Amino acid sequence: MKLESRIGLALFALLVIVAIAGPLVAGDPLAQPDPLHGAFLLPSGAHWLGTDQLSRDVFARLARGARVSLLIAAIAVAVAAVIGSMIGLVAGTATGIVGRCFQRFINLGLALPRIIVLLVVLAAVGTIAPATLGVLLGLTGWPAVARLVRGETLRLRVAPFVAAAQALGATRLRIVLHEIFPGTLPAVLVATTLGVADAILLEAGLSFIGVGVRAPAPSWGGMILEARDHLANAPWLLLAPCLALVVATSTATLLGEALRRSLQPETR
Amino acid sequence: MTPLLEVINLNIFFPRAGGESSVPVDDVSFTISPGEMVALVGESGCGKTLTGLALPQLLPRGAEIGGLSAIRFRGTDLTGLGENELRTYRGRRIAMVFQDPMTSLNPVMRVGAQIAEAIHAHRTVSRRDARERVLALLTEVGIADPPLRIDAYPHQLSGGMRQRILIAMALAAEPDLLVADEPTTALDVTIQAQILELLDHLRTSRKLAVLLITHDLGIVAGRADRVLVMYAGRIVESATTAELFSHPAHPYTRGLFAAIPRLDAETTRLTPIGGTVPHPDNWPTGCRFHPRCGVAIAHCVTHRPALESIGPDQIAACWVAQGRRA
Repeated sequence: MKLESRIGLALFALLVIVAIAGPLVAGDPLAQPDPLHGAFLLPSGAHWLGTDQLSRDVFARLARGARVSLLIAAIAVAVAAVIGSMIGLVAGTATGIVGRCFQRFINLGLALPRIIVLLVVLAAVGTIAPATLGVLLGLTGWPAVARLVRGETLRLRVAPFVAAAQALGATRLRIVLHEIFPGTLPAVLVATTLGVADAILLEAGLSFIGVGVRAPAPSWGGMILEARDHLANAPWLLLAPCLALVVATSTATLLGEALRRSLQPETR
Repeated sequence: MTPLLEVINLNIFFPRAGGESSVPVDDVSFTISPGEMVALVGESGCGKTLTGLALPQLLPRGAEIGGLSAIRFRGTDLTGLGENELRTYRGRRIAMVFQDPMTSLNPVMRVGAQIAEAIHAHRTVSRRDARERVLALLTEVGIADPPLRIDAYPHQLSGGMRQRILIAMALAAEPDLLVADEPTTALDVTIQAQILELLDHLRTSRKLAVLLITHDLGIVAGRADRVLVMYAGRIVESATTAELFSHPAHPYTRGLFAAIPRLDAETTRLTPIGGTVPHPDNWPTGCRFHPRCGVAIAHCVTHRPALESIGPDQIAACWVAQGRRA
């Protein structure tokens, strides 16, 4: 295994441990034990990453934020993969007017600026649960997957084994589901893993603007937003969620590239 | 015996807007009887693969079959059938084995599952029954240790084994006719012989008719009952294998024999046929072989020869072989 892949796996393990065990050991991310004298404490044994302006434990918020970020990202890429695969398969295999309509539909989805659509929707609906935010991200993220699956489908549709299946009397539905669809999975898996980085960044961006996960619920984007006001006297407040974002997105990228290397050696 | 398959005046053409159509297969007729092995021999580009694909109506996009052509399978003309009806013929009555066993198997499916697919395409059977059938098929096509191989992926098998898997897939729905398009071209010589042995064996054990499409006269000897020699979209000679090998009549057939290395002859040099196969857009006039033919006469340039009997069980489309001298 290449070094990058090892690093990716190690970082992934770290993230998962922090997301699962962190909130258990770090206590309540919303508790404000001593807002008067306990704010802006430097990292110590009691508070591993210090405390923020309201004396809340930064590590507890970071760990809970990791859980929220990963949950949202996982839901987002899963929704995008399922919808994108279905639409891409139809667009790639249907002939005539139906195939063309689906292709235009994908192009329309690609042309819509994702962030603006999300801003409009989130501004309209107000506070939403993290899982719902994940679904919304998925509903705006499928066109990239659909385009990829359509391309793979067009490639596989002319493969000799598809002609062989047809020659042995397989129906079109059987060919699409049993011969073509499994062949698109490696590309979808790679794209989905890489898409996790996008989803995490997008969620952080939305939370930073204040329309994603909203205060006081902890999220990395929200933590960066609040820390911005205290940059001069408490820079660690900004550093912690920023580093977490870097680690999470690099992990997704490293793992995605590792998957690409092992699943699609021909694309290198 | 009534023939299993009758191909009558098969024309395959690629229509072009505002121009003359390209006609890569021109007026081809032949029959195959149950349990018979017929070889269709010719150089690349002579139309033999298109002829094979036309039988189960699997021509590439853009190719059309002429209106006067008929492909009768047990009396039913397949050229008039719709997709749904054709599907009951494909695999179930006419099965195909393609040239390249490397790409004709789905790389992400276990071979057992692929053979099972071919069963499920035509009948409703339980998973367990299908697996039993697959194991029996693997044994029949000579795969050693079927319980081990049934769960292998194609890349774990050798070329010869993969071709056996493809044959097992083709046999899955118990067809009456197997169209094998260059089934051994991608394989080592020793494996070639084994695959041909297998086809020969299946023909007798299953009463399976086989259309063996090949460019190699050498693999035809001793196996096929009859040989059809195709040149430039037409059949130029048709004979029993024995007749054809003992006295080939058409100059093209003789040219093919002269290009095969022999151990028992004195000459060490092979004699290639001069020139190349003409393109379908530009077939020569008269006999299409005349530009490359050593014995052509003036008549050959202007008049198309018909297939006529020139001996017992032998017909040839050649003015000279038919006795014309000028």
